[in-house]
Amino acid sequence: MYFDLHCHSVSSDDSRATVEQYLKWIQVLRKRGYTVDGIVLTEHRKFDFDKDYSQLADDYGVIVLKGSELDTRFGHFLVYNVTQSLASDIDFGDVRMDARELMQASQHHGALAIPAHPGRFGIGLVDFMDAGETFTDVKIVEQLNGGGRPGENERADELCEAYGYLGTGASDAHLASHVCTCMTKFGMDISNEGELVLALLSGDFSPVKLEETSTA
Amino acid sequence: MINDGQIYFEDVELGDEIGPLEKVASDEGVIDFCTLWGNPVPNRFTSEEEAAKANLPGPIVPGVMSMSLMAQLITDWAGPDGLKDLDVVFRQPVPHNKPLIITGTINDTRQEDGENIVQCDVLMTGTAGERYIIGTAVVSLPSRS
Repeated sequence: MYFDLHCHSVSSDDSRATVEQYLKWIQVLRKRGYTVDGIVLTEHRKFDFDKDYSQLADDYGVIVLKGSELDTRFGHFLVYNVTQSLASDIDFGDVRMDARELMQASQHHGALAIPAHPGRFGIGLVDFMDAGETFTDVKIVEQLNGGGRPGENERADELCEAYGYLGTGASDAHLASHVCTCMTKFGMDISNEGELVLALLSGDFSPVKLEETSTA
Repeated sequence: MINDGQIYFEDVELGDEIGPLEKVASDEGVIDFCTLWGNPVPNRFTSEEEAAKANLPGPIVPGVMSMSLMAQLITDWAGPDGLKDLDVVFRQPVPHNKPLIITGTINDTRQEDGENIVQCDVLMTGTAGERYIIGTAVVSLPSRS
């Protein structure tokens, strides 16, 4: 299965794409011969407990999951399988939180937090590790990010190589036509956020560019 | 598709691309824009010193000037009356004297209140892929019928 693990709807202040526009665009991609099974909406500094996209997902035949992208003092982290109990323990709006505490709290509550765009200049995990910070709980990072500037994904590649991290892929889309430019290929079926975490913990996944999903 | 230079709603499909339009905002062009705009120079858009005071890497292109360049992509394509809304997010400062590549992608078409609406993603990038500005444009197109 192919999932875009990182995209933002208009629920994030810097996105201009509605969820339906993403799903319409995925129909365009499918017409062009690409394979897309699902997306994960990772809104900035929040989790939309009140939003239900199941009808839209059915209408367009796309699995729509929800997650978060949280700011920490060690860069941005994607959180999958967010629960009410995690949201009670962690202040999602605290941009100075310690990413290590976030990762541990996520694990405690059945969620998973991984560094987003670790190669991003200035705010990526690579810079913090180069400055001497250590992150023993990191096992997976977002290796392929569709919003990266030249050189940033290469820095993430080097990080994975140096530390043996597993890598995901995602578009980091803020516009409809950018969704699914990069994705993660999974070897197992995923239909909800809990299964997504299990699939990530299984290690049976790899980052892919959209072009690699072509059936044409 | 077109026989009078006008693009029609029926000609448009999801995924169609608009542009690219390549522009350069020169030092002189920014000064002219600020003068017309009524923004006294020197300012952070025209002066290295003023830009440094604002913690900018150098003089930048004013946001409204960048938006006007992006609007030109749409009005060149749809005609002067087609653009109904342009909503953008400034992601990086836009530099002077460098090529600015402006492109659009149609991501939605619909009929709304009797109008034929086309929605486009619009993007201003640099030649190395820097994403300076992203946004969406809402355009009204005439129908052939």
